[in-house]
Amino acid sequence: MRIICPVKRVPDTAAKKAVEPDLTLDRDGVEAVLNANDEWSIEEALRIKERTPGTEVVVLCVGPEQAQQTIRKALSYGLDGAIQVSDPGISGSDASGIASIVAGALADEEFDLVIMGNQSSDARTMLLPAMLAEYLDLPALTYCTKLDIDGDTVRAEREMPGGHQVVEAKLPAVVSVVEAINEPRYPSFKGIMAAKSKPVVVKDLQDVGLDAEMVGLEHAWTQVLEVTPRPPRQAGDKVEDDGSGTVGAKALADFLVARKFL
Amino acid sequence: MDFDFTEEQYALRDAARDFFAGESPASHVRAMWASETGRSPELWGKMADTGFVGLTVPEEHGGLGLGAVDLVLLLEEAGAAALPEPLLETTAIGVPLLVEAGTEAQQKDWLPRIAAGDAVVTVQLMDAPYVADAHIADLLLLHRGDALHAVPRDRFAATAQPSQDGARRLFTVEAETGDDTRMAGGAAEAAAAWDRGAAGTAALLNGLSQRMLDVTVAYTKDRQQFGRPVGSFQAVKHKLAETLLVVETSKAAAWYAALALAEGRADRSEAASIAKVAATEAEIVANRETLQVHGGIGFTWEHDLHLWLKRGKALESSYGTATQHRALLADRLFS
Repeated sequence: MRIICPVKRVPDTAAKKAVEPDLTLDRDGVEAVLNANDEWSIEEALRIKERTPGTEVVVLCVGPEQAQQTIRKALSYGLDGAIQVSDPGISGSDASGIASIVAGALADEEFDLVIMGNQSSDARTMLLPAMLAEYLDLPALTYCTKLDIDGDTVRAEREMPGGHQVVEAKLPAVVSVVEAINEPRYPSFKGIMAAKSKPVVVKDLQDVGLDAEMVGLEHAWTQVLEVTPRPPRQAGDKVEDDGSGTVGAKALADFLVARKFL
Repeated sequence: MDFDFTEEQYALRDAARDFFAGESPASHVRAMWASETGRSPELWGKMADTGFVGLTVPEEHGGLGLGAVDLVLLLEEAGAAALPEPLLETTAIGVPLLVEAGTEAQQKDWLPRIAAGDAVVTVQLMDAPYVADAHIADLLLLHRGDALHAVPRDRFAATAQPSQDGARRLFTVEAETGDDTRMAGGAAEAAAAWDRGAAGTAALLNGLSQRMLDVTVAYTKDRQQFGRPVGSFQAVKHKLAETLLVVETSKAAAWYAALALAEGRADRSEAASIAKVAATEAEIVANRETLQVHGGIGFTWEHDLHLWLKRGKALESSYGTATQHRALLADRLFS
């Protein structure tokens, strides 16, 4: 079995983010990390690998040269190899553009399963898994909290408001996972030391069957018109109690009733 | 000459930082104060799986075969986390001592079990009165006269002694040594182990001092007085800047000691003593100033700072006080 784990290099979640004049995210000014949601997909792929001897897990990352760092981090968990798509023409691509690039990179690859995090912590569009499945013409099983592989079938539990849905598909398929699926492991020191000797295949746009007229900021199907910082938190209401507790308790009860908690 | 750590050594440090942040936060250290043994076999198992414990164990015995330079940044992180587990005694001192001074049978018997996380080692060197973690140790490496002994669990008794750090328990030990516990090496290897203890403790102290400083800098940005953060007052800035200076220079001394030990340089004992003196004195400054800057809250039980303050105080005297190491240095340099 061969599993592909697409991962994204994102600005550190805790860092303050800035935008460039063209309204793309400033990626040089902040420390970059492996998208946290992709740690769940890597963990899930590793668990399948541990259950299914002979499984190979390959990380795929679209990003500039610095994304090698992110790839090494992903490899340090014990993955077998990596594909990087790197090309100056990719910069500023939207979700659809990136999905077409990932699909192009996978066109010549043999694989049974694509497992990815449900969203990136910077863009948070949650579109990529479904778009990728569409480009690849494969079934999409999204927001999964549980995965079982049985022969050539993948069965998944999908997170839904108020419950979960059980779905299955024939392999190959595209799966996206959410936090509830597992607790990611720490990379072992052995894994970290082995990561630098794992093969990384670097491809450019031409290699994945695209050209600069199809992707990038200028050719994106969506356009960012405006970026507004989140408004600062408003100060809450302060209730002065008279010391007996009754004033405070009544105010708290009224607050909860007004919001239908009581 | 490039004295910087390699990319890989930094990657291991970052991984250690993430690991300790997740597995040994202040709440864990606090829980260990209150627990029966002060130790978590579960955490030790995870540390073994990740590769901490077997880091210095040779590859043929199931370890990673790395050395003191690879370990020094990890010890800093362990110090920063006030890690309760005996990483220093087992991985930084015990394993190299077994490798240098153990018989072939002792190495075959113990090293794979240590790497797998199934055996914890502690040491008693240079007539140190107390032994850390003797209550959970499976193997005690003991220096008596000119001889070294590897004493298994059923051949020594540990008696608890008061320790100011509840997450690092101290014991006196009575061991039953004999020809069958005798190691191949002797006084020279014991002295090298002592150097490893001093240099490793220096690395722990430096991480600890850095952590106390980081926590305090964050606090001074948050804590307001006279309508502004207390960190904006010059007297507070000076205290923190002075602390940073001594901690930074002390780190360089510990890094050099690690290099000298790893390469078996002629000045390794001097380097280890200098590292321990520098780290102890930097920690004394960090301990005093960070407590002072925190004000009253810094010595409340509820605040985490005291977990580091007390570990710092405990480590000041382990593997030689600053005074002892100064005397050793004077002997070596001026005799």
